[in-house]
Amino acid sequence: MNYAMALDYQNCINCKACEVACKEENGVQLGADKQRIWIGVVEGTIFGKPFANLYPSQCNHCLDAPCVSVCPTNASHFADGGIVKVDAHKCILCKGCMEACPYDARFVDDTMVAVDKCTFCDHRIGEEGTTACQATCPTKVRMFGDLDDENSDLVKLLKTKRFFFQKEYTNTLPKLFYILPDDEAYAKQSVSHNTIIHTWADIKPLYDEARTRRSKEWRK
Amino acid sequence: MEKITFAGLEINKISIKALLFNKTIIFGYLLLALAVFGIYEVFVERYFSVAATAHASGLNPLAPGLKEAMKLAVFGDVGEVNRHIPWTLFIVNYMYMIYTGSGIIFLVALAELMNFHLVARAAAGFMIAGIAMVFAGLFTIATDLNMLNMLWMFITPNMNAGMWLMLPLYCIYIPFVLFEVYLILTNKREWAKRLALPILVLSLGVDLVEYYIQAKLFSMNTARHLWTEFPALMFYFIISAFVSSLGIMGINSFLVHRKKPEYDALMDLIRRAMLFFVSVLGLYEIFGYMAVDKDWAFLILFGPFRYIYFAGYIFLTLALPFLFIVKPGNPIFTVFASVCVVIGGFVGRYLFVYGGNANPMSNRFGVGYEKYDFYALSQSFNYVPPHLGEILIVAGSVGVCIVVYKLFDGLFSIGDLRDHH
Repeated sequence: MNYAMALDYQNCINCKACEVACKEENGVQLGADKQRIWIGVVEGTIFGKPFANLYPSQCNHCLDAPCVSVCPTNASHFADGGIVKVDAHKCILCKGCMEACPYDARFVDDTMVAVDKCTFCDHRIGEEGTTACQATCPTKVRMFGDLDDENSDLVKLLKTKRFFFQKEYTNTLPKLFYILPDDEAYAKQSVSHNTIIHTWADIKPLYDEARTRRSKEWRK
Repeated sequence: MEKITFAGLEINKISIKALLFNKTIIFGYLLLALAVFGIYEVFVERYFSVAATAHASGLNPLAPGLKEAMKLAVFGDVGEVNRHIPWTLFIVNYMYMIYTGSGIIFLVALAELMNFHLVARAAAGFMIAGIAMVFAGLFTIATDLNMLNMLWMFITPNMNAGMWLMLPLYCIYIPFVLFEVYLILTNKREWAKRLALPILVLSLGVDLVEYYIQAKLFSMNTARHLWTEFPALMFYFIISAFVSSLGIMGINSFLVHRKKPEYDALMDLIRRAMLFFVSVLGLYEIFGYMAVDKDWAFLILFGPFRYIYFAGYIFLTLALPFLFIVKPGNPIFTVFASVCVVIGGFVGRYLFVYGGNANPMSNRFGVGYEKYDFYALSQSFNYVPPHLGEILIVAGSVGVCIVVYKLFDGLFSIGDLRDHH
């Protein structure tokens, strides 16, 4: 199993139902908004015409996660399915992982006095089959699934669409796949000039190699 | 003073009162008392502040504690560690103390190898000042970590992590330096000179490992990539530390050696070395900003950090000291320059950590936080000021330096200039 998520970000309406569902499901501290998951907002104008792009985001559960490498106590680790997790009782609050994460996906949970982050709701995958944020999204932005399963809805979607990663240049092999809008005009407006667009065929060998290499560290 | 000889070491026969309750050390205790209060503040905020979850609100929505927690969460800052700036004044002080302390030790070892006899004669005092700063740095970082879980560093260690590279290094480095001081105090000059080279290498090792831990982590995160774009950052770290190190050596010389005949010559040596490193650092500052991210350069040079950068860093670390020491003259000018670079060096580290985190929000392509919030004022960059507990702990770390130095001085008279035999 190699869990990942695709995000059809053009469908996002910034309703924040995912953020609320995440808080409820994972007991995230109230008031501490944009912690486990958030909606990134980029605003601007092109020749006087305003636009706002919404990028739902969370931990990318990178295959080569720098947060795992820098943790001195192995509190940050890969769980089964390549999910990056934190053992709260082992965390010494060095905050190295927070600095190392290219996505700012980590925060200190004051109820546990330890670093916390998105866990892809791994406690409910077995029973519900998906994450709270996907289950609650009214516009079906998120699709959670298994990259190892060629017949999963996730892989089927990735085979038919083009996608990109955020901050790909950090070479951490993130597992949030941002699905490029079919509309070319909207697609151009919502990615930067440097964004590399991928297809499943070109990215699969790279991800398969990394999965084989790093899966030895995945804890059962 | 009457001496007791132990393992070749002459120990002053000093009363407990004179050793532990002299004026200087009492000042150190006062600073340490501030640190204790700071630690209390940090502990209260870290372990005892009220925090509410959706589960808690579901179980008892009318609980007064829940109301308080919600109020704090919505209208205040949540928690002791702010997500915008995970590394705070603790890291600023840690970096400053470790780099400056190891810088002093490096420079003294180098002077020993290059046959600067005057520095070699004052080496014991300088080296203890350096190692006291290393202790102060470790003290600061220890108060920042969650000590309750430190055992896991040894039960499930990740030996490849930067922090684990650091621990064994200090386990070797600190005893080596103390042994070098022992050799100096026991007048084993030849052996002291032989040990100077490994200490030189180890001091560089400390700088390299610390650089690896701090700057490399920053560079992984584009939100905090800013200073890491500086060309040859490693040298910037070391050179800026040498400037502060020479400042500490200048202040130490003024306090300890000013009534000795060698004082003028010693201060002139420090002046010349400081002039060299201040000039190199100045060149670096001029060219460095041509290579870094433009948005961030504007934030520092013309944005909200401009006063700290120009008045706190450039003026105090470079311009004013340069004017004080450019021409040989009264050693008091070198003392003024030393005070300036010691303060300016700290401001430089502050800029590194806080400025590095204060990225323009507009740079966050699809990541991070919204530019505005219902409850917070809009802001275009990240900045969270240090809280009182941190400030008091930093003041307490100066107390650590004073207490360590004075204890060694009380027992071994490290402030004496020792002649070669």
